[in-house]
Amino acid sequence: MLRTTLAGLRLHKSRYVTTVLAILLGVMFVSGTMVFADTLEGSYEESVMGSATSVDAIATPEADEDAETEDGFPADPVPFEQSVLEDIRALPEVTDADGLVRGQAVLLDDEGRAFGFTPPAAVAFGETSRFSASEGELPAADDEIALATSTADQTGFEVGDTVTVLDPDQDKREFTLTGLVNFGVDRSYSYGGAVIFAPDTIREMTGADGYSEIDVLAAEGTTPEEAAAAVATVTGTDVQTGTEFGEKMAESSGAQTELLRIALLLFGVVAMFVAGIVIYNTFAILIAQRQRELALLRCVGAKRGQVFRSVLTESFVVGLFASVLGVLAGVGIGMAGARFGGQMMGTEATASVVVSPTAVIVGLLVGTLMTVFSALVPATRATRVAPLAALQSSATASGLEKGTGRVRVVFGLLAFAVSAGLVALAQMASPDPSGLFIVTGAALVAFVGVVILGPLLVRGIVRVVGVPLRRMGVPSMLAVDNSTRSPRRAATAMIALTVGATLITGYSVISASVESTMTAQLEEQFPVDYQVSAQYDPEARAAAADPEEEPEEGAPEEEPEEGAPGEGAAEDGTSEDEAVGQETGDPLVPVEVEEKLNESPLLDKVMAERNTFLEETTDSGMTGTPVTAYFGAEMGVDIQADAIEGDIADLEPGKAIVSENSADGLGVGDDLTVAAPSGDLELEIAALVENGTSFWGVTIAPEDFSAAFPEIGESSLLHVRAAEGADPAEVRDAVYTAVEDHPTVQVMSVAEMKNQFSEMMDIAFYTIAAMLGLAIIIAVFGISNTMALSVLERTRESALLRALGLAKGQLRRMLSIEAVLLCLIGAGIGIVLGVLFGWAAGAAVLTDLIFTVPATQVAVFIAVAVLAGLLAAVLPARRAAGTSITGALASE
Amino acid sequence: MTESAVKPTSPVQAPPVVVARGLTKIYDTGGNQVHALAGVDVEFHRGAFTAIMGPSGSGKSTLMHCLAGLDVPTSGTVHLGRTQITGMRDGDLTLLRRDRIGFIFQSFNLLPMLTAEQNILLPSQIARRRIDQARFDHIVDVVGLRDRLGHLPAKLSGGQQQRVAVARALLNAPEVVYADEPTGNLDSRSGAEILTFLRDSAKDLDQTIVMVTHDPVAASYADRVVFLRDGRLVDEVLDPTAETVSEHLLKLEA
Repeated sequence: MLRTTLAGLRLHKSRYVTTVLAILLGVMFVSGTMVFADTLEGSYEESVMGSATSVDAIATPEADEDAETEDGFPADPVPFEQSVLEDIRALPEVTDADGLVRGQAVLLDDEGRAFGFTPPAAVAFGETSRFSASEGELPAADDEIALATSTADQTGFEVGDTVTVLDPDQDKREFTLTGLVNFGVDRSYSYGGAVIFAPDTIREMTGADGYSEIDVLAAEGTTPEEAAAAVATVTGTDVQTGTEFGEKMAESSGAQTELLRIALLLFGVVAMFVAGIVIYNTFAILIAQRQRELALLRCVGAKRGQVFRSVLTESFVVGLFASVLGVLAGVGIGMAGARFGGQMMGTEATASVVVSPTAVIVGLLVGTLMTVFSALVPATRATRVAPLAALQSSATASGLEKGTGRVRVVFGLLAFAVSAGLVALAQMASPDPSGLFIVTGAALVAFVGVVILGPLLVRGIVRVVGVPLRRMGVPSMLAVDNSTRSPRRAATAMIALTVGATLITGYSVISASVESTMTAQLEEQFPVDYQVSAQYDPEARAAAADPEEEPEEGAPEEEPEEGAPGEGAAEDGTSEDEAVGQETGDPLVPVEVEEKLNESPLLDKVMAERNTFLEETTDSGMTGTPVTAYFGAEMGVDIQADAIEGDIADLEPGKAIVSENSADGLGVGDDLTVAAPSGDLELEIAALVENGTSFWGVTIAPEDFSAAFPEIGESSLLHVRAAEGADPAEVRDAVYTAVEDHPTVQVMSVAEMKNQFSEMMDIAFYTIAAMLGLAIIIAVFGISNTMALSVLERTRESALLRALGLAKGQLRRMLSIEAVLLCLIGAGIGIVLGVLFGWAAGAAVLTDLIFTVPATQVAVFIAVAVLAGLLAAVLPARRAAGTSITGALASE
Repeated sequence: MTESAVKPTSPVQAPPVVVARGLTKIYDTGGNQVHALAGVDVEFHRGAFTAIMGPSGSGKSTLMHCLAGLDVPTSGTVHLGRTQITGMRDGDLTLLRRDRIGFIFQSFNLLPMLTAEQNILLPSQIARRRIDQARFDHIVDVVGLRDRLGHLPAKLSGGQQQRVAVARALLNAPEVVYADEPTGNLDSRSGAEILTFLRDSAKDLDQTIVMVTHDPVAASYADRVVFLRDGRLVDEVLDPTAETVSEHLLKLEA
């Protein structure tokens, strides 16, 4: 029996080419992902371990566990003092030790503006350190500086350039860039970037004191463990050896790689799923075509079980063969991925490729099992072939299937109904991430419905689109008829494509809708051209808790929601004579900037947003309620939001706009008491707005704000609108001139912001589309395979058509149209599902979602479907047209 | 064609529609050269119903395929009317088959997804020819398919399927109809019907028909029978009966 199976395989190997390719691609992706992730992990580990093991022990300060800042966050660890370092150096187990000083400093880019959303870390380390210069030299003099490799990449600075950094007094100081330091995956430096000063310079530049890390070299004859233990007696903290430290770092970076691995494997699952559909269809068709062969086997005495096993053996051989190729290809792809992708992920490509046994075994298992599993149903069907079928010749009858059963229709419609119910449920519930799961579930159920109703859908759609097609000539007429000859086969082939099309469309709809929603919110709520804020400064926020310390400049996020409730409740009423806006801990835009902007004739309007936090209000017991006023803005005109109740334009002295979660059950017309330091403010609620709009907490009239909080004279955010008809370039100049003396003040052009936002969305979209592209390629293989097998089945028919005068080109066109039709139906259903569930998912999570169908992208998908159909038909059509007429007519 | 055949019963005097000269066809099967046709000269006249007979492997199907432009002879020429079809490019051959030749095969004559009517009209549609409704009605009535037009082939009996094929071949009034064992798969009654249609269309519609068969009864419906052996034309019988054909065949086989 095995010999028969293998002989059959050898004879029909060309029929398996596309199936093998489909499995190969899926396995390649899975194994490739594993190799890529393993290699990435390996090289992270190598770089982390390499730098950590260059020292013997690493001591880091520990935070007092009981200590908390006043906001309730755990306190920062207290750096080691100089004496600790001296004591460590004095230890007999230690040859040398050096400390790492860490603060932060504002780095100016080549345009003189502050780099980064937050100031980068500023560090200095001595000779004994786990870090070293990867390019050039470490700074030694007080006019020298080094940058983190990532920071240098982002700013474009190169060794030898002059770099400007602000000192604590906000004065500019110039340094020569002497070298670059690769911090690798160390998160504390890779986020905000880092500048490196000479050890003597850093105190002056940052005011930082003490050491946040002490690296130790053990004395000769002392093991790192002994050294670490000795150091621990001095520091009183847990001291790790270099190896321990490196392992810990590698572990945390491994978690990052793991996330990437899982994300990629998700796409791998989709690809394998589609490959499974393709495999299933191939075997189903092959079994149908080999009915007589199988019946003959049964005639000569093969048992049902033997037939079943024979088919499964066949699938096993095919699956294993394809998986082996897939794993090989995957290793190649993984290597290439690690080489090119690794650089983007901040690791050197020097590490050798890691091909773990898991990657190989998982690849082989996934591919082989998937193939055998997909062949189960066809194999079962093969056992039902009656021995008598060998004797019947039903040339014309074969290939025409019976209609779709009533049960099928009932179940299909039921699936759609359940799906619709779930979507409705998700929409009725308030926006919540859990709605996303419900929608995903609904999409899966709907997909099951499509699978069940597939044959019917194919038939129905072809009937409709067939009307005009039939008139276009014989090839298209025949194509229409051919495409519904075996609706089940056609449906399965097309569903493979539907999977990818649904996912891509769904994602593109969500992406486009979110983008247009965000843009519209920006436009509607703040029809402005620029936003001016200050660089966010975590240290300044910490300082806000300590009124003794000099406040620094800086500002909150660009988003109007900044400083959302609870983000930073500072004590109320500690009105010192300094800029009391510091109470929120958020840096403010200097008044000077505001004045300059106001003076500019090019600017139509400068709306200043000022805010503070109330610890609590007397009446309702609200805590941390933000109170905001917009100076120079006309409510309902310059700033818009839909009110649940009342009208925001009614805001006037003595009234307030309250967001839903701050209203605490109060409604329009009710009285609200705001406990200002100068005395309670009695207000009447003019409008109630939804959460998540530009209004958060309590918004009051500027007059009231100035009266109640006279000490807050600076704004957290300025919204600037250009005068009508002003030249954009001149407006830009005017805005930048106003902030010239304040490099840390950040200017955000709304146009740029929108661009950046849509760029970000686009990158995400293209990445995901590329990943799903694989599933689409596999589906196209499936369609091509279905076409090829159908062509094989219809060899005589094609010969007859050719004899009757159908030209080769027409025959090819016929097959192309059939394939394109299949692809279009598959993609069409996918697009419909994608649009539907994209909307459902978006609407379930976001209120006021502006549903946007990305028409261009959908048009591109349709074009891709047409192209895919044409491609899928190339080989089958060549084959059909190339077959000799007389040969085909003669072969019975 | 300007000449008109006045007397279909004496086909010898009408101008030949198909002329083959010195046809050879050599197949290479694994180093072995097989002469399927070893120099055939034959002509078929307008309105004549000719049967090509011969034992298995005598080359009758190959001859028909070469005459019909389905296969390319190794040497020799074939003319259809004034057109030399040997040496034509595939595309032109296709057009020639479409416009000037009709086919009836032994089995699998019909496209399973098209109705009887669609099958009959298929060549005209491929050619985008206007359909002669009167001729269509006439032929459909003659072959008795009027009430079967909307059926798919799977719903038709073998005889009915073959009648659809005959109707399709005759609809365009092609210069010649080639029939390859048209009754091979039919019971004798259905076979007789088909052969009668063919004979009548030769007589009444002045249709040239060339039929390949190995059945002496089928051949007896023709005006003329030519005998093929080992790729050569070896004998010919005019106004055959089943008996005379069988005798000649027996002589050939001996």
